[in-house]
Amino acid sequence: MEILVGQSEGVSTVEPRGRIDSITAKEFGDRVCALIRSGAKRVVIDLANIAYISSAGFRALLIAGKLAEETEGKLALCGVAGEVQRLFEISAFGTAFQIYPTREECIAKVQAG
Amino acid sequence: MHREGAGGVVARPRNGASVKKAADLAYGVEEVPPPSVLWLAALQHVGVLALVMVFPLLIARAAGASPAIAAQILSAGMLAVGLATIAQARAYGPIGSGYLAPTGFQAVYLGPSLAAAQAGGLPLVFGMTIFSGLVEAALSRIWRPLRPYLPPELSGLVVLLTGLVTAAIGIRYLMAGHDGEPAPRPDWVAAGFTLAVMVGLNLWTKGMLRMFCALIGLVAGYLLAVWLGLGSAAELAAIGEMSLLAMPRFDHVAWSFDAAMTVPFAVAGVAAALNTSANVTIFQRLNDSEWVRPDLRSIGRGTLTDGLAASTSGALGSCGLSTLSASVGVIIATGVASRRIAYAIGAIVIVLAFLPKFTAVLVATPAAVVAGALIFIACFILIGGMQIITSRMLDARKSLVIGVSVAAALAVLMFPDAVTAAPSGLRPLLGSALVTGTVLAFGLNLLFRLGVRQKVSLSLDPAGDYPRAIEDFFTERGKSWGARPDIIRRAIFGVTQLTEAVIENCTPKGPLTIDASFDEFNLDVHVGYDGELLELPDSRPTEREVREDEDGARRLAGFMLRRNADRAQSSRTDGRVVIHFHFDH
Repeated sequence: MEILVGQSEGVSTVEPRGRIDSITAKEFGDRVCALIRSGAKRVVIDLANIAYISSAGFRALLIAGKLAEETEGKLALCGVAGEVQRLFEISAFGTAFQIYPTREECIAKVQAG
Repeated sequence: MHREGAGGVVARPRNGASVKKAADLAYGVEEVPPPSVLWLAALQHVGVLALVMVFPLLIARAAGASPAIAAQILSAGMLAVGLATIAQARAYGPIGSGYLAPTGFQAVYLGPSLAAAQAGGLPLVFGMTIFSGLVEAALSRIWRPLRPYLPPELSGLVVLLTGLVTAAIGIRYLMAGHDGEPAPRPDWVAAGFTLAVMVGLNLWTKGMLRMFCALIGLVAGYLLAVWLGLGSAAELAAIGEMSLLAMPRFDHVAWSFDAAMTVPFAVAGVAAALNTSANVTIFQRLNDSEWVRPDLRSIGRGTLTDGLAASTSGALGSCGLSTLSASVGVIIATGVASRRIAYAIGAIVIVLAFLPKFTAVLVATPAAVVAGALIFIACFILIGGMQIITSRMLDARKSLVIGVSVAAALAVLMFPDAVTAAPSGLRPLLGSALVTGTVLAFGLNLLFRLGVRQKVSLSLDPAGDYPRAIEDFFTERGKSWGARPDIIRRAIFGVTQLTEAVIENCTPKGPLTIDASFDEFNLDVHVGYDGELLELPDSRPTEREVREDEDGARRLAGFMLRRNADRAQSSRTDGRVVIHFHFDH
């Protein structure tokens, strides 16, 4: 799995590419948590290029979301579509995250606080 | 399958299920349009019916019938059309699909009927049409067990071929309508104008103008064609001579049967069943934005009604009927699918059977106008057929079934005279592009089913690249089965997530085994392994449990696996764990 990390208008962006499964979930979760611990208060995770996310991936997202909450930061998701959207539905964790259709909208919402 | 969602219109069709109307429909099947929309939409469909009145006229001409007898055939057929259109919408007992499914003279009957007219005159046409309708009605009773042999891509092929034939008839009017010579310039102007009005209104207007693009195009084209001096002078003159009101006459009715004609008419019955199956499927999908699979009860009722309609038409002394793909094209183009319109169409058509003067106006529609309208309508039929075909995964076998059959149908369309060189036994099958394509597809589908295993197995090494192995296994099998891609995606996720959870939590010993079996209605997957049992809980672990508990991720995996399948079960037999996923197909 490839993970692209960037900055856009004061918001940290994380774009994993490929599969978030039991093998890659730890690396992905560690990268996001490290970003938050380094002081990133506004984080957007773009899942547009994810083909598969398993229960291990959802666990990594939940841990990162909790850490953002504890550090009074904001974490939101975008690019949740197609098969990944269906997996969010069957996990029943869709409402546990703020999810926006596009990266631009997601960044704007996170900036607005 | 059906879920009520926020927004949109939630309708309840006659099969009792709640459905959410597709966003691009102006009026869904259950909605009641205002009277102006209702009657204009009905008139528009009557206009489409008028286009296919050319079929009985061609058949009457082939039998050497007089114009008066041709008019009687039309009047009798209109009674059957009106009753069938109402019965399709009504859905009472085993009768009726429950949708606006206008019925009319069908291209699938044209080839066999022309052959029968030449071989045995009108009585043979009427008698064999009764037989054909009974074949279709009988098929409707055994549609479910037949479905593996008549898969959706075959229905899609019949719709696609109907579109091709419809377009070809329109083009033939212009290219060979005058003793084999291309039509003169005024015909092209009238056809082009008719088509341009329909396309222009459909693409660049909204509301009433878009809804009635076909009707407005027909009227505008008709007026221009008359102004240009087109149309049959005899037919136009006959309008004035016809009485306004007259009882339909049946003194032309007689029936005969010829065993040599059974094959082409049986094929026409199968093609009509596939055509109606495909049309009702389109109506289901059109009226339900969350549609996932055909409702076989509605299809069975629609097909039974369709067969009985054809038999009734033959019994009354007219030609083969079926639900019209052309009307489906109009419904898709205009977004008006209310069931009430069927009752209005039925009423208008039955009244017209008693009004010879108005029937004569419809019959006199200039050929160039019919050509323009047929080409417009064919566009939507063609795309509808393609969509049905591509709704399934297609491997090389299925691609060849479709491709070879389309090529054969094109050959019949392009070189109709070559049929005379064929052996006499084959000629009935080669007289119609639709019959040729359908028979060939049916035969090839049966042939290519040989060697396709419905039960397959895979041994999975947990240390290997199992995600790719699972994806390749199900993708290849899904194509050879002609499965729905969404079901195959669910199976891929289920087995991948299960394997992942087993490796992480259940200490498996040795390879995992995957056994999958498929038929048109079910996909069952059994995954076996030696190790600890993976539970599939009904309730989701909390966020805290997933984050912090040692078994949080495992319980979430089990919960997701249960929700991913339509049924899921885990059990242990003789020390081996077996997880069973069932997917409705």
